[in-house]
Amino acid sequence: MFFLHNLERRVTLHPSYFGRNMHDLVTTKLVKDVEGTCSGDYYIIAIMDTFDLSEGRILPGSGLAEFTVRYRAVVWRPFKGEVVDAIVYTVNSHGFFAQAGPLRLFVSSHLIPDEIKYDANATPPQFTNNADMVIEPGTHVRCRIIGLRTEVGEMWAIGSINGDFLGCLQA
Amino acid sequence: MASSDNHYGGDSESDDDNFNPAPADVSDDEGDNASKNQQTSSPAPDDDQRYSRPAGGAASKRPIQLTRDDEDDEENEEEEEEDEDGGGQQNLDDDEEEEDDEDEDDVQGGHRRKRRRDRRAAFFDIEAEVDDEDEGEDDEKEGEEIEDFIDHDDHPDDIAESGRLNDDRRHRELDRRREMEASLDAEKQAEILRERYGKRAPARGLNDSAVVPRRLLLPSVEDPSIWAVRCKEGKEREVVFSIMRRVEERLGTKNEVPIISAFERGGTNSVMKGYIYVEAQRQNDIMIALDGVLNVYPRTKMILVEIKDMPDLLRVIKTPNLEPGAWVRLRKPAKHAGDLAQVIDVTENGLEARVRFIPRLDYGVRDEPLLSADGKRKRPGMPGPRPPQRLFSEAEARKRHPRNVHGNPQTNTWNYMGEEFENGFQVKDIKIQQLDVKDVNPTLEEVTKFASGAEDGTENLDLKALAASLKDGVASIAYLPGDVIEVYEGEQRGVIGKVTNVQGEIVTLQVTEGELRGQSIEVPNKGLRKRFRPGDHVKVIGASKYRDEVGMVVKIHNDQVTLLTDQTNNEITVFSKDLREAADIGGQGSLGQYSLLDLVQLDPTTVGCIVKVDRESMVVLDQNGDTRQVVPSQITNRLPKRRGAVAADRNGSEIRLDDVVREYGGQQRQGKIIHIHRSFVFLHSHEYNENAGVFVTRASSVNTIAAKGGRINSQSGGPDLTSMNPALKRNPAGQNAQAPRTFGPDRSIGKTVTVRRGGYKGLLGIVKDATDSHCRVELHTKAKIITVPKADLAFKDQITGKPVDMNSGRGGFGGRGRGGFSGGSAEWSGGNRTPMATGGGERTPAWGSKSSTARTPAWSRDSGVSGSRTPAWGDGSRTVNPYDGSRTSYGGATSYGGGSRTPAWSSSAKTPAHDGFGHGSKTPAYGGGDAWGSKTPAYGVSAPTPGASGNDAWGYTPGASGGSHPYDAPTPGAGLGAPTPAALSAPTPGAYSAPTPAAVSAPTPGAWQGGWGADAAPTPAVGAPTPGASGGYYGAPTPAAYGGPETPAPSGARYADDD
Repeated sequence: MFFLHNLERRVTLHPSYFGRNMHDLVTTKLVKDVEGTCSGDYYIIAIMDTFDLSEGRILPGSGLAEFTVRYRAVVWRPFKGEVVDAIVYTVNSHGFFAQAGPLRLFVSSHLIPDEIKYDANATPPQFTNNADMVIEPGTHVRCRIIGLRTEVGEMWAIGSINGDFLGCLQA
Repeated sequence: MASSDNHYGGDSESDDDNFNPAPADVSDDEGDNASKNQQTSSPAPDDDQRYSRPAGGAASKRPIQLTRDDEDDEENEEEEEEDEDGGGQQNLDDDEEEEDDEDEDDVQGGHRRKRRRDRRAAFFDIEAEVDDEDEGEDDEKEGEEIEDFIDHDDHPDDIAESGRLNDDRRHRELDRRREMEASLDAEKQAEILRERYGKRAPARGLNDSAVVPRRLLLPSVEDPSIWAVRCKEGKEREVVFSIMRRVEERLGTKNEVPIISAFERGGTNSVMKGYIYVEAQRQNDIMIALDGVLNVYPRTKMILVEIKDMPDLLRVIKTPNLEPGAWVRLRKPAKHAGDLAQVIDVTENGLEARVRFIPRLDYGVRDEPLLSADGKRKRPGMPGPRPPQRLFSEAEARKRHPRNVHGNPQTNTWNYMGEEFENGFQVKDIKIQQLDVKDVNPTLEEVTKFASGAEDGTENLDLKALAASLKDGVASIAYLPGDVIEVYEGEQRGVIGKVTNVQGEIVTLQVTEGELRGQSIEVPNKGLRKRFRPGDHVKVIGASKYRDEVGMVVKIHNDQVTLLTDQTNNEITVFSKDLREAADIGGQGSLGQYSLLDLVQLDPTTVGCIVKVDRESMVVLDQNGDTRQVVPSQITNRLPKRRGAVAADRNGSEIRLDDVVREYGGQQRQGKIIHIHRSFVFLHSHEYNENAGVFVTRASSVNTIAAKGGRINSQSGGPDLTSMNPALKRNPAGQNAQAPRTFGPDRSIGKTVTVRRGGYKGLLGIVKDATDSHCRVELHTKAKIITVPKADLAFKDQITGKPVDMNSGRGGFGGRGRGGFSGGSAEWSGGNRTPMATGGGERTPAWGSKSSTARTPAWSRDSGVSGSRTPAWGDGSRTVNPYDGSRTSYGGATSYGGGSRTPAWSSSAKTPAHDGFGHGSKTPAYGGGDAWGSKTPAYGVSAPTPGASGNDAWGYTPGASGGSHPYDAPTPGAGLGAPTPAALSAPTPGAYSAPTPAAVSAPTPGAWQGGWGADAAPTPAVGAPTPGASGGYYGAPTPAAYGGPETPAPSGARYADDD
């Protein structure tokens, strides 16, 4: 689910940047540092704006200036039970891996409806029910997140396409 | 009879009227019978004495016959007739005649009977007749015990007859009754039956033992004693049986067996096995009774069982009964001790079980060594290493013992060395004592071996039996507070809750779902199992071979849970009892000090990356791409992760840890660098499953995909300031400076070049076409046009073959070029930030004019001309010098940075240099450098000092240098720190620019100092120093790109020196 989240971060700036438009630089640096990262529980998708930029403080010893920036960002936090659309990127006999934006998902063959079988002979290997459902790399699927694992700088989910309205998305 | 009357008496009376009276009626009728008997028995007053006069014609015979007849009505009549026939007409009275008539009756049909009946009816009243009926029934039902009735029956013949007559009626009545019953529906029937019999049980109970308090039933001192007599273990039951036979044999003889009872409590796990228990008044009686019985030893010490222990002897212990399919562990064939076996069948007597297990055969491989050196046969069964468990293989068996193998390949049953094998399993009858039935705890792996043994390859895993076997070991499952559990057995079945407390076998749980939600209930831990949901993050505990794996649950089936491991993305299936909810962050598998993905030294030449960690060993992927299993002791040490490790990829770009690279060629696998060791890189990718996604390749065979943090091969560790430096951004001059260089056709076209790297290295060719970054070169050697990055080309003079600079003649640009430098550096994808590549513009004028004058010092050095040093410019133009005024190279530098460049440039580029020289003020630095050829750092250091240079030509005086030191400090080594002071000291814009360059340039000099040294150019140190800092910012980097001696850096250095 997407949220607008107020966050805070300390940004350091090299002395060479000190000048009139320092605040712009700080913002730029913030965007560069933060956008697209995963903070453990959520992904920071985009920074909307910064609403509080503290005065810089020179760090003793290095000459860098440190600013405390408070900003508003769009974050995405995947939840257990959330339904997401993803793109398949690997298929093997145990299931398939898909990517929902920055989030990697694994859908185990146990969590795929029974009628959708693994076909190792197809090229590339695919899951198919020999009808409209063909899951191969590149397929768009809709799946439900049933488990989430968070690590430093990374998230990882287990999904299921066992359920109504889940599975391949027809383009 | 009496007792049975009691049972049924009273209450039954009223109920029974409508229905088959069965025994109950008997009781009802008893009184009547008695009276009636008296009436009817008048003709035979002596009936009571019938036994006492055995020889008494038909009459006396009868009772006996009838007794028998009671069991079978038909027979009865037939025999009666025979007897009568046999006996002749002994009975002359009417009754006897009637008997005869009866015979006829049978032959002729019913009408006669009716007549008879009527006639006889005169003697009976109706009531009696009814009674009669009942009596007949009684006779039938009661059997021999009711002999007096029977007696009465027979004796007066009419009664016997009446029985016969009634027979018909009774049948009809029965039919009627049945019809009626059938017409009622089953429920009603059941109710009636319940009504009728339901009350009886309690009634009987009252009369029976329930009245007597149980303790009064316990044995007392007056009761016979019980002795435990030793017997052969396992033969308890046989002994008791033989005692029983003996009792029967001697029953009624003079020497009856004087004991009261004998029993045994043997059994596999019984503590009372090896004894039989005999109840007798005296110990001696037992001796007599057991004398000569096999397998029992009454002469050894008998144990008198204490009275208080006696009840315990008879306490019923629920014995685990073996059922086919159950799992057991073998105890006896030593070779198989502890092995899991499955019960196929249990013999009738419950003493042996037929089990199947996986054989441990060596197929005779170890037969020979049985003969030891001295020729003596070693003791067979010597404990050697036992062969591993493997299914029986006929082929193997035939190899060495072709004669000992018999069997049927169709059914896959074999007999080898006296053992039976079915479907590869060994099948054997084993005494139950030699099986461990409790706490079997089969692991799923063990069981799977059995399952896969099915001939059709399908799984025939009997999970029920397995679960049953596991239940025994349920006590060993520990539930901990916080576990979510489910009750699957018993009254509370289906309840789900969270464990709050565990006390012994009682688990208290807080119900979390359903109607009982919120309540806390206590349940025995027997019928519990842990509950998980798909997606739960769990860790394997317990005895499973997957212990310590952490993963996410993907499937749950009863108590089997399938999970996907975090580390390897494999699916494993374990019992839920072996799982625990894991902390959110999965613990990395680790063994001792080694953990997954660590780099370890296997031997002096081999390193490897740990790709799998088991309980006692781990799997290592070595640098050659082989995996091997090692134990921690085989590992020399763990190589710490070197954060700073750098390697060059196929393109020569720098790669570091965490960079994403792709294999060039091969499978083109892409991965993140986790280790760099010498020329090998270990990569990790989530897309591969084998080796935990780790693979190894050579650094020289990968291409960079993405460097961490967007680093594009910057050769310095510092921040990449060129892209964001506001100073540069704000200075449009820099950007503008670059623009001109794109004018006109590419200058490189038509030039003669040599290729400097790659597969065509060294080949000569002519540039046919060019883009900004690449040239299409027609090779001289081959009729082929190849595309080469410009950076990989060395331009040559067409005629002389001397290396030329493509940009020569562009000196005029110099001034601007400088500015361009800084801005343009990014252009070079190759990482060389020198603008040079991009065009000639950036070159120092000195270059442009090869001749001599305009050269930067570096140049001049090359050319051997000393006069034309750039530093010169520095001097001339600078006003800003904080020290002396005009001298400092810093000042010069500043001028670069600032808008004031032009003057500086102009000065430097051209005349000023000369001037400088002319003054002699700078020359010394250079001259010194050159002449001496000594690049000692010291030299470098001192040289740059503005003071020095400013003061006199030979600016090396200690004093001078001392004064300048603050400036000098920024030798390349000094890196960042050094420049800053400069910046500080120099208030001019130059100061501003100065620091930055330092950061950038400082490292570089280091890199190519070597090159310089080779050139015999001024000491790298010289080059690097402060000037580098100031000038370096703009100039220094460039040279690197060219790698050439012409690098501005040196020139920069020069400047410094000059000042």
